[in-house]
Amino acid sequence: MNRDGRRRKVPRAGKVGRGLSRNAGSDVKAAYLFISPAIIGFTVFVVYPLVRSFYLSLTKYNGLSDPVFVGLGNFRRLFTVDPAFWPSLRATGYLVLLYVPLSLALGLALAVFCNQRFAGVRIVRTLAYLPVVLPAVATITLWKFILNPQVGLANTILDKLHLPTSDWLQSPAMSMPSIVIVMLWGVGGTMIIFLAALQAVPNELYEAARVDGAGPYSVFFRITLPMISPIMLLQVILQTTAALQTFNQPKILTNGGPGFSTNVLMLSIYNNGFSNLGRIPQLGYASAQVWVLFIVIIAVIALTAKFSSLWTYSDNTPD
Amino acid sequence: MNRIIGTSLACAGLLTATAACGGSDSGGKSGGPVTVTVMTWESPETNTAIKKALEGFKDDQIKVQLIDTPSGGYGDKLASLTQAKKLPDLFWCGNDTEQQYTSQGLLVDWSKKIEDGDGDFKADKFVGSAMTNWKTGDGLMGGLPSLMNTYGVWYNADAFKAAGIPEPKAGWSWDDMYSAAGKLANKGGAKYGLVADQLTGADGPFTMSMYSVSAGGAAFTDNVNHPTKAEIDDKYTEGVEKLAAAIKSGAVAPPGYDASNVPALFSGGKVPMMFGGQWLAAGFQTDKPKIKYGFAPFPQVNTPTTLYDSVGICTPEYTGDEDATYKVLEYINTKVWDAVLPASPVAPPAYTPAQESYFSALTKAGQNTVVDTVKADLAAEKTVGVRFTTQWASQVVDLTTAYWQPILNGKKPTSDLQTYVGKINDLIKSQG
Repeated sequence: MNRDGRRRKVPRAGKVGRGLSRNAGSDVKAAYLFISPAIIGFTVFVVYPLVRSFYLSLTKYNGLSDPVFVGLGNFRRLFTVDPAFWPSLRATGYLVLLYVPLSLALGLALAVFCNQRFAGVRIVRTLAYLPVVLPAVATITLWKFILNPQVGLANTILDKLHLPTSDWLQSPAMSMPSIVIVMLWGVGGTMIIFLAALQAVPNELYEAARVDGAGPYSVFFRITLPMISPIMLLQVILQTTAALQTFNQPKILTNGGPGFSTNVLMLSIYNNGFSNLGRIPQLGYASAQVWVLFIVIIAVIALTAKFSSLWTYSDNTPD
Repeated sequence: MNRIIGTSLACAGLLTATAACGGSDSGGKSGGPVTVTVMTWESPETNTAIKKALEGFKDDQIKVQLIDTPSGGYGDKLASLTQAKKLPDLFWCGNDTEQQYTSQGLLVDWSKKIEDGDGDFKADKFVGSAMTNWKTGDGLMGGLPSLMNTYGVWYNADAFKAAGIPEPKAGWSWDDMYSAAGKLANKGGAKYGLVADQLTGADGPFTMSMYSVSAGGAAFTDNVNHPTKAEIDDKYTEGVEKLAAAIKSGAVAPPGYDASNVPALFSGGKVPMMFGGQWLAAGFQTDKPKIKYGFAPFPQVNTPTTLYDSVGICTPEYTGDEDATYKVLEYINTKVWDAVLPASPVAPPAYTPAQESYFSALTKAGQNTVVDTVKADLAAEKTVGVRFTTQWASQVVDLTTAYWQPILNGKKPTSDLQTYVGKINDLIKSQG
């Protein structure tokens, strides 16, 4: 009964329930139907390979005969016997330490530069982004010729300028920095994301800062950087993940050498899983390496995300 | 919905059926001619010559088909075809592939056919060391050797003349080689006097065996196919010390020097001496380097010693018709090289009656030092294998990178050679 004393006509509960459940059931079916391509794709291309690779990591498997279960044997070999594993992990870490900060700094610097208004800025942006769209294998191969210590362009120019030359890719000390130089050739990808972030910073903030007498350094460090810090976090995660999975550059430029100096984990996995002519693949062992890399990536991302609140700015104040 | 599922299943069935039509089981047991497929790793030019030569194979019941495929990435291609069980009836393979695949039961065993062969196509007509090395521990042969790889030292005769050094020739010593390398380094645009990837790279420990064996010492391993031990004696250590000293002085390129471009640098006069195989002669014949060059046998301490290596042709165990495949294999070994090698003298055939065409082509092209060195290598009394052919060989490569190369670079003492060889012996034992 409502306030005016009239009895409201209430539909019978059972009838309502049946009607709702019929509609809800139909909606649920439709929902599952719509997401089924994604679920099937995820199951076939992510879940199954993940489960299968974990199983293979516990086996001795060469792809030619049936896998033989060896328990943690592959992991034991990885951590205690294999002379290539720890150097591979070190090389991967060194590459991440060199590449990630440099790519962020250079990408941001380039983005700040391209965010100015001057004649030809669009051409500069295009040129900066161009290496990203060029075929990677072709450009890396070209770099191999440029960095040839005997007949390469880099040493020829340095020599003409009476500057010290280097063995570049053939020197254990310089090989990884050389690879990072080649990777930084594609820094336009980082730049374009930073550029988008910079253009999203409200102009009023800059105007207010200038009115308050802030100089360019203060503006950059107190307004620009905090405002783009969420994008910086994204970039750190993206670049770190990409650096941990670097493959093309060391494969084409050095194939892991000299010694183990550029034998990053991805390359080591490839060489064990897809051996050269005349060598039997070690797919079980390579799968164990994949799991180590997977765990390293997850750990690094988790740590980055955990400590990101210390340096990323987020506007959580209620309206 | 049912219609969609039905259509999907039909498509899947069709795809499966299509896939099943490929591979080597394209035989004609039902009455038609059997198709024998062949896949090589040769260049397009050599493949064209092989294809033309195969047209001469006449048998109404057998059709030969050379698969048109680029030579690049042959290893990946082979691995994929092996896993998919789609290998061609005859495919080019190395001794190591043959050994490993045979031990996995993936290849047809030709040992009985070649031992009891008719006419001239018999085991005793092949280079003896090749036949020995193509047999597994159980005496099986998953393929037959086809071409021999011989190795030696390519040298720039002009650079030797300019430096006033006598050209390398049979019987020269390791000291002669390092001394010449020292004199040739940093001259005429060359940085190092000698580039020897076979000594400083993954196969280095095996190549160094030539020093110890020539000096009367022990080889690095007793057998590359079925090793029971690896060994480094005083003579071997002496050879390593000499090499390390030559690297330290800048006469020899250190480990890590990019070997992929060395033949081009040699042709351009930027590398005066390099270790290499006889197959480079075919490329030089076409490219015609501006320098005057020669090919000398490896240096020796006391007795001539060289590397043993050969490539061959393998057959998967699921080949459609073994007899038909063997007939084509026989034709390739006995007839095809005669047609192919005059235009592209890449290597001497393992089947000795077919070697004449190779040598006459080189002689005709004026490559006399190549002829002499290859003949000397084939006749060498002492040979050492180029690398392990076992399934665990890649683990030895990692050990070599971890020990051998730092020892040559002077970053680890030569006493670590014993640690290195100890770890290889542990590996041999662990593999049974």
